[in-house]
Amino acid sequence: MTRALEVDSHDTATATTGAARTDEGSRLDEVFSYKELARLDEALTMSSRETGLRFTLYVGELRTPTRTAAEELHARSGVHPSDSVLIAVSPGQRVVEVVTGAGAGRRLPDRACALAVLSMTSSFANGDLVGGVVNGLRQLSDQAGHPASLRH
Amino acid sequence: MNTAEAILVFAGIPLAIVVVLALLTLKPGANRRPRYKPGQAWDHAPIWFEPHPAHAPAAGHGGETQAIGSSVYGERHGGDAAATHAVSGGQSHGGGASTAHAAQPAGPLGGARGTW
Repeated sequence: MTRALEVDSHDTATATTGAARTDEGSRLDEVFSYKELARLDEALTMSSRETGLRFTLYVGELRTPTRTAAEELHARSGVHPSDSVLIAVSPGQRVVEVVTGAGAGRRLPDRACALAVLSMTSSFANGDLVGGVVNGLRQLSDQAGHPASLRH
Repeated sequence: MNTAEAILVFAGIPLAIVVVLALLTLKPGANRRPRYKPGQAWDHAPIWFEPHPAHAPAAGHGGETQAIGSSVYGERHGGDAAATHAVSGGQSHGGGASTAHAAQPAGPLGGARGTW
């Protein structure tokens, strides 16, 4: 029963803030609902803040071989790809790839990634894309723990 | 009770109940988005989600927020405001924040792969 506020005014942009997301014309909730987008947003942000790694999520078609395509995406995923983790989900191809950079890989061994992937795929097989991603992110961030710089 | 009354009571009332229940069942699903089912094609444009930056001011803290934002993560300023952090366009859009980063090597890569 929650839906975006329907507004016709398009004067929401100011000198310092962007226009409202509902004014940009494109349907942002075409793939996921706003509720699901909020869940993804919070999961990505909180796991990135807790671990100090940078988690990004790609949802869409991947070129074959998907591993190479995901690694190319990971190389462009931020300023420090070494400390970033990319979760690439391609629902059409039924493939999920987790790519960790060299720095992130020290805290997230491949075995931990495989376990998170396993829990993600079991949710995906039930048609729950967002739930699977959120649970996978939770597992990955639990495994990575807090960085030494954030420890009190 | 004549024939007309009997029809009204024993056919009309059950029919009305069935119609009401059918409307209640079918109406809420009329505008629901199609749910993803494994095996069906995925013909949406790619999306790349990024976390909010760690240094973003939280809403209600500090004097930096000039407008009441709809997000708990506060407002962004200047050119940063144009670049979305939550949802950025994939390769097909080309305008997302992610695509602006140049490719750079990240050392030996790790990770895992799964299919379903």
